[in-house]
Amino acid sequence: MGSKPVIGTSVCKWTVSYFALAVVWLLLAEVLMVAGFGFPHSDIGGPDTLVIVHMVCVGWLSTALCGALFQFVPVLVAKPLYAERWTPVALALLTLGLIVLLAGFLALGGHLNGPSWLLPLGAGLLVAGFALVVANLGMTLWSARPLPAAARFTAVGLACICVTAAFGGTFSLVLSGTGVGALWPDLLPSGVSIHAIAGLGGWLTFTAMGVSYRLLAMFMLAPDGDAELGRLAWRSGAAALAVVVVGGVLALWRATGLNLVLLLAGAAALLSLAAYGSDVFGLYRTRKRRALELNTRMSLLSLGNLVAAAVLGAASAAAGSLQSHAGALAFLVAFGWLTGLVLANLYKIVPFLTWLETYGPVMGRAPTPRVQDLVAERRASKWFVLFFAGTWAAVFMLSIDSALGFRIAVALVTLATLGLCEELVRARRLADVAESLRLPLGATVPHLLVSRN
Amino acid sequence: MTDFIDVDVRPILRAGGEPFSIIMAALERLEPGEGLRLLAPFKPVPLFDVMASKGFAHRDAELEGGDWEILFKPHDGSLEAGEPAPVALSDDDWPEPAVRLDNRDLDPPEPMVRILASVERLAPGQTLSALLSREPVFLFRELTKRGHQWRGGFTPQRDAYQLTVKVLA
Repeated sequence: MGSKPVIGTSVCKWTVSYFALAVVWLLLAEVLMVAGFGFPHSDIGGPDTLVIVHMVCVGWLSTALCGALFQFVPVLVAKPLYAERWTPVALALLTLGLIVLLAGFLALGGHLNGPSWLLPLGAGLLVAGFALVVANLGMTLWSARPLPAAARFTAVGLACICVTAAFGGTFSLVLSGTGVGALWPDLLPSGVSIHAIAGLGGWLTFTAMGVSYRLLAMFMLAPDGDAELGRLAWRSGAAALAVVVVGGVLALWRATGLNLVLLLAGAAALLSLAAYGSDVFGLYRTRKRRALELNTRMSLLSLGNLVAAAVLGAASAAAGSLQSHAGALAFLVAFGWLTGLVLANLYKIVPFLTWLETYGPVMGRAPTPRVQDLVAERRASKWFVLFFAGTWAAVFMLSIDSALGFRIAVALVTLATLGLCEELVRARRLADVAESLRLPLGATVPHLLVSRN
Repeated sequence: MTDFIDVDVRPILRAGGEPFSIIMAALERLEPGEGLRLLAPFKPVPLFDVMASKGFAHRDAELEGGDWEILFKPHDGSLEAGEPAPVALSDDDWPEPAVRLDNRDLDPPEPMVRILASVERLAPGQTLSALLSREPVFLFRELTKRGHQWRGGFTPQRDAYQLTVKVLA
């Protein structure tokens, strides 16, 4: 047997800090929706809705995804993270940038008296934070060329967050009343779709798809060594995103409108999703593990929501009612698919990192609990059921224009989120581990918000 | 320890390209004291003389699948000397494994738990070999912390990862 020098990886110190801040943003956004702030009480593109949208997409989803990528990109490519010391700086920039940006939206909506430079300042801080994230993960990927399939999804996702941030930064200049707005009359109405598709579709969805290939194979004990696996999904998805970005910018420049671009990209995106769905189904069929754990079942359920959103989106586009269903579809994607998937995976990642940090040093030397012993799946599954039921109810209420019904449904989602947060805190505290195994000699309870490594 | 810059010429050769200029270009970019790690589909014997004339000693190892890994290191430091590397480069000096584990069908992180538990029971200098369904990335650091050496790589079919651990002597 020959040998290949290999470098291991370890627990990223700041990943749980990212998760903790992300969950705070999620809860804040949910509470605001329950209180009736933003859509559907106010305009879907208005400043109040933008507050919620950015809390969910930047504060919750992007922060959680960044934290997860700092841990899993090194695992995917078997190389250490390029610069772990950049990760807390990026977290501070992202958090501060989002706070300033939200203040800017609130000022725009007349809720507070703020200077017009709040939006560009917030956007600038966010761009700096994302630049640090992209540089760090990008350098890690660069050191691992040629990239494995799952990492290629991440590379496209990183390119997309750059596009999203660039558009967002430009909008902030337009909205703050600087000269750029006059140069580009079409920029806001048309550019918003590129900003949203690159962010939700490219950065959040495409990256999550790539990571889920590896995680689902790992947790279902399914063979994923086939080099073809994920290739069609990646190619068609990357093509869809390239069409949106390149075609969209050209359409903006020539002022021709985006319809053709969106139609082409939509077709490629559906092909990508179909290929992804069929890949995941293949992994499911070839799995060696018969009884799936809660996190895997909930990930598959979230995936079902993505498929449902794609089918409903295509159907309403064909029927010409996409505009009127945009809110319900966006909620289904943001909560049914992305939030569900992230919560399901946090429910695995947090206990796993806690277990590795606590018991790694004493493993083999003293009896240690299994990862499953850190969680209580029966209790948590109640919260997941409530979460998905509330989400579907909220989507339904939006589709029948019931604003009050929506708020009640989101209240259920909020309750479920709180319940799942408690489960994560309990895992971190080792609260569900049998006392005899909990702290063998040499093991200590981890900090709640940061890991030792 | 010498830092090695990776040059993988396998894709270039597969595409019918010419790797010599790539290797020489990589050589130009080396910092003083840095070495070159070359991955090739065959043992590039003619290159050894060229590299020797440029002041590089070499050490080669065959990988699974018939590929070769060659380390080129500047003559000022010996390849043999230096800190003990966690990953040894040649296989001949290790004893037959005292324990063999097949961990392919275990749920992660059970493979890591079993390997660490078995390693703790070995005598100094003994080895353990294990088959895994994937590269155990979190295990390596724990092995290093405990002072053990390991060698690992995917099997030629790439359907399993073969790991050998040698307990600190």
